[in-house]
Amino acid sequence: MAIERADVLRQLDAGFTDSPVVLSLGGTAREMLAVAGRKGNHLISLDAMGQTISLTLGLALGLQETRPDEKVVVVDGDGSLIMGLSVVSTAGHLKPKNLVVFVLDNGVYLATGGQPTASADIDMVAVAKACGWRDARDVRTSEELADAVSWAASAPGPVLIRVYIGTKQLQTNYFLEDPAVLAEDFRRWLRSTQPSVSVG
Amino acid sequence: MSTDAPVAVRAVDSQADLLERRSQAVIDGVESIDPDFVLHLASSTLKIVLDHFIAGDGVRAGRQVFAMPREEEGVAIASGLELAGSRSVLIFQDNGIGNLLTALLTLPQPYHLPLFGVVTRRGGLGEYNSMIHTVSERTEALLDAAGVRWFQLDARTPVDRWAVEIKRAWDFSRATHRPIFVLVNLMGG
Repeated sequence: MAIERADVLRQLDAGFTDSPVVLSLGGTAREMLAVAGRKGNHLISLDAMGQTISLTLGLALGLQETRPDEKVVVVDGDGSLIMGLSVVSTAGHLKPKNLVVFVLDNGVYLATGGQPTASADIDMVAVAKACGWRDARDVRTSEELADAVSWAASAPGPVLIRVYIGTKQLQTNYFLEDPAVLAEDFRRWLRSTQPSVSVG
Repeated sequence: MSTDAPVAVRAVDSQADLLERRSQAVIDGVESIDPDFVLHLASSTLKIVLDHFIAGDGVRAGRQVFAMPREEEGVAIASGLELAGSRSVLIFQDNGIGNLLTALLTLPQPYHLPLFGVVTRRGGLGEYNSMIHTVSERTEALLDAAGVRWFQLDARTPVDRWAVEIKRAWDFSRATHRPIFVLVNLMGG
């Protein structure tokens, strides 16, 4: 039986409570809000289709010096990844050690009615590895997901985890927050958790 | 000896000299920003500028310089860099403006993130490509339609003012929390 997206999101929220987590638009963001509520470490991408991993790559590059022990996590979908697939080559070339990508693959653009994506014919793990990522793996069960979350928290990045999920959706409301507020809330969380610099 | 030859040579030298002086002004302007990250997209017109940052005096510890395969990817990466508190500059051609509009208008613009780009003009005087003007001539109209603020540096601005104006545009982006582009004409005009 396939894992459902809401269950995956619960595990990711619990596994990365102190890390920046970027959420892709649509059901991913709305269901995370439903299962975890508003979290300071969660940055929600309301649109920018296909650019959620690129946004997170920039965040990871910018934080790798100041927060070297922390992972920067993105939760994207298969459709969104395919829209901006070139970032896989950019991230593989730059190799930020702190970048962790979870691709929740249901094979469809679920938020817009379930139109099929091309993911069934893409070996994302092989693509990531061929592009220079340090590692990648497929996940099909809750047990494999638990292992992957634990592994990703410590493995040198960039790493990609493709999680095969079902198409069951939670009933959620639209999320209508001002994006400027989302950005400022996230920056406020970053500032509040800035590692202290030891002197002497 | 043909009397035409020196004129032709002078014309070529003039074009090359113009390109070099204006490119150096762009380099000086970007260096005055002291970016941590320089994201670039392939451009023959920008060769002098890009060479400086990729393999020249612009290479320095703590600075990362890399190619963005597409302009929209660069916009998203720069948005993430801004959230992380890093200083980044995008350098690319105006024929890529159309590529980045959706990312620009759904990420840095509504999230109120400063973003700065130096955009080289194509398709005008001195152009050697018979097609590129079809998109490049629409650059200002596209940006205006999108509500994106831009400034132009060309023959109307003395080249010794360019570096200062680039830095002022960067400051303006930060002061107004939004994307700002400087359109630079390196080819003439």
